[in-house]
Amino acid sequence: MRLIHSQIDTTSAEFQANAIHNRNLAETLRERHRKTRFERPQRDLDRLARQHKLSVRERIEALLDPGTPFFELSTLAANQAYGGEVPGAAIVTGIGIVAGQEVVIHADDPSVKGGSWYPLSVKKIVRALDIAIENRLPVVHLCDSAGGFLPLQADLFADKYLAGRIFRNQATLSKLGIPQVAIVLGHCTAGGAYIPALSEYNVIVRGTGAIFLGGPPLVKAATGEVVTVDELGGCDTHTQISGTADYPADTEMHAIAIARDIVGTWKRVEKLKIERIAPEAPLYDPAELYGIIPRDIKVQFDMREVIARLVDGSRFHEYQPAYGTTLVCGFAHLWGMRVGIIGNNGVLFNDSSLKGAHFMQLCDQNRTPILFLQNITGYMVGREYEHRGITKDGAKMIMAVSGLEVPKITVIVNGSFGAGNYGMSGRAFDPRFLFMWPQSQISVMGADQAANVLTELKVKQATRGGGELSAEAIAAIREPILDDYRRQSSALYSTSEMWDDGILDPVDTRNALGVTLSATLNRPIDRPHFGVFRM
Amino acid sequence: MRHLFLIDEAEHEAGLAPAGDGLYHLLVGGETLAVALDGPRLVTGGRRDAVHVAVEGNVAHIHLDGRAFRVEFREAMARFAKGGAEGGADTLTAPMPGSVVAVNVEAGTSVTAGQIMMVIESMKLETAIKAPRDGVVATAHVAAGKTFNKGAALITLAPLEEA
Repeated sequence: MRLIHSQIDTTSAEFQANAIHNRNLAETLRERHRKTRFERPQRDLDRLARQHKLSVRERIEALLDPGTPFFELSTLAANQAYGGEVPGAAIVTGIGIVAGQEVVIHADDPSVKGGSWYPLSVKKIVRALDIAIENRLPVVHLCDSAGGFLPLQADLFADKYLAGRIFRNQATLSKLGIPQVAIVLGHCTAGGAYIPALSEYNVIVRGTGAIFLGGPPLVKAATGEVVTVDELGGCDTHTQISGTADYPADTEMHAIAIARDIVGTWKRVEKLKIERIAPEAPLYDPAELYGIIPRDIKVQFDMREVIARLVDGSRFHEYQPAYGTTLVCGFAHLWGMRVGIIGNNGVLFNDSSLKGAHFMQLCDQNRTPILFLQNITGYMVGREYEHRGITKDGAKMIMAVSGLEVPKITVIVNGSFGAGNYGMSGRAFDPRFLFMWPQSQISVMGADQAANVLTELKVKQATRGGGELSAEAIAAIREPILDDYRRQSSALYSTSEMWDDGILDPVDTRNALGVTLSATLNRPIDRPHFGVFRM
Repeated sequence: MRHLFLIDEAEHEAGLAPAGDGLYHLLVGGETLAVALDGPRLVTGGRRDAVHVAVEGNVAHIHLDGRAFRVEFREAMARFAKGGAEGGADTLTAPMPGSVVAVNVEAGTSVTAGQIMMVIESMKLETAIKAPRDGVVATAHVAAGKTFNKGAALITLAPLEEA
């Protein structure tokens, strides 16, 4: 593989200005992460202290093997929802190492609204369990939830991917032979009661842990029966009488120690054998990524400059270097693991689309996971391109990306617009993981274009009875549309709605890809088989 | 294929073949030498010499026998390429249809490699047209605001004088 020769001038004014801009974005991201993780109203912290409960972060810290990283997912979920009052959607999820096992962790955060499940909390748990299913990873649940947030029950209960899906996913994991342990650290009420019940193993803390379909007030209202929490669904009730819980624990730390011992008894899955070499750091400093991503999302840059700062030794074997040049395809190693890389270097034309579909089939055939690096405004439009079949060539890419059996990981490094999002393994195409960089934008079309179309429609409606609108009146219509559109196409909005698995600081991307790529290798890869390509 | 190394600017071709038990055969010219690396010691024939190596990309700095050597690995793919179109063509053509946002040069302007001569826009994306080499602009074919088709000439540099 050849060393990529960077063309970047790190002393140029352009580079320096980009670097300042992108470093600021990364700094803001770190600050948002800190606040989301640690800033809570004092009364909530006081309540947890009175109950002798650890914080969710302390619980996770105790659960993990010392000195191992915790790769947190969707840290900023719900940051644009519920008035910003439900940090992280009241749930922490991620991948960590417990007793030598790679596991998915789902933890309720009792410092946020008592750990109530909001619609986005449910989405976050379902996503974590999807990750467990897709990558065959065992799960540790840290349960402490007041139950579904009733005022929003219509948005979290009945539909296919809402609360029921959590339990369906748990049952699916069990069917696949992937073990789960639940640690009951607070109340597991109503639906939440099924999480420990559907885990093969569960541990319950005496005094604070409880499992029941209806708590004491609901029981009294329903049947008139008066019963205490402990009698109804406490530690001894479930470990001695009902058999709903397995292991009694005296304290939270005791429960976590038992859970770690349980995980230690599980058989470790053998990783898939893909091509591996000894890992090597990139030759070019990943911090230079800050200067490479243009401040203006409209400005084009060479994706090879990004690849050079992600992959081992900055070495890349480029496939079809002279054909369909707006799509860069090739092979590299990431932490020693061989990957195929598909990155945008401009608009997708007929030739670049064919190249993409062809390269995906090649990777599927030779069992190479694929990394998609998105910076895409879309497929080329116009008569000439339609006559050449740009739509059917785009369809070939979508057919290929949907049919891949090898793991896919997608990073949206700048723009993700229109059908380009689809062909480049957007969320709907089940990449095992999808991340965004702080400046990224994602929408069906660019903000300016969309605002123009929407403004035109509104102006037409307003002038239907005749007459004309002043430039100020038109601006007054356009500005709020533009603002709203910009907000909804931002990385913060995407991550709030969990269209991604989190926003990454560009310099952390190499590590994130190492952890997640390794996680994908727990699942065997099926033989290549695709649908019908429209030729 | 043997590898090409520049050792302190002199070219050397060599190959290394594994011979088992951590031993290698170093193939240089018509000779085959048994070599091995034993921790920080280079073993050749009966000699064991302390060796220090620092690698940066394709260059290794080696300290051996009281001397420092700079060993550069020449990639075979680059070595046998004939230069191709890279930096060779005088006329820069449009990679895609679009319009010109800005023209920073005119006929007679001297440019250095990498200098932005023109900015074009297509499909909402701005692309900088950079000078592929040092030279002088002969013609700027398209003015700011004008549109062009894929493959249209954008800027022509004056041809290089044959030395």
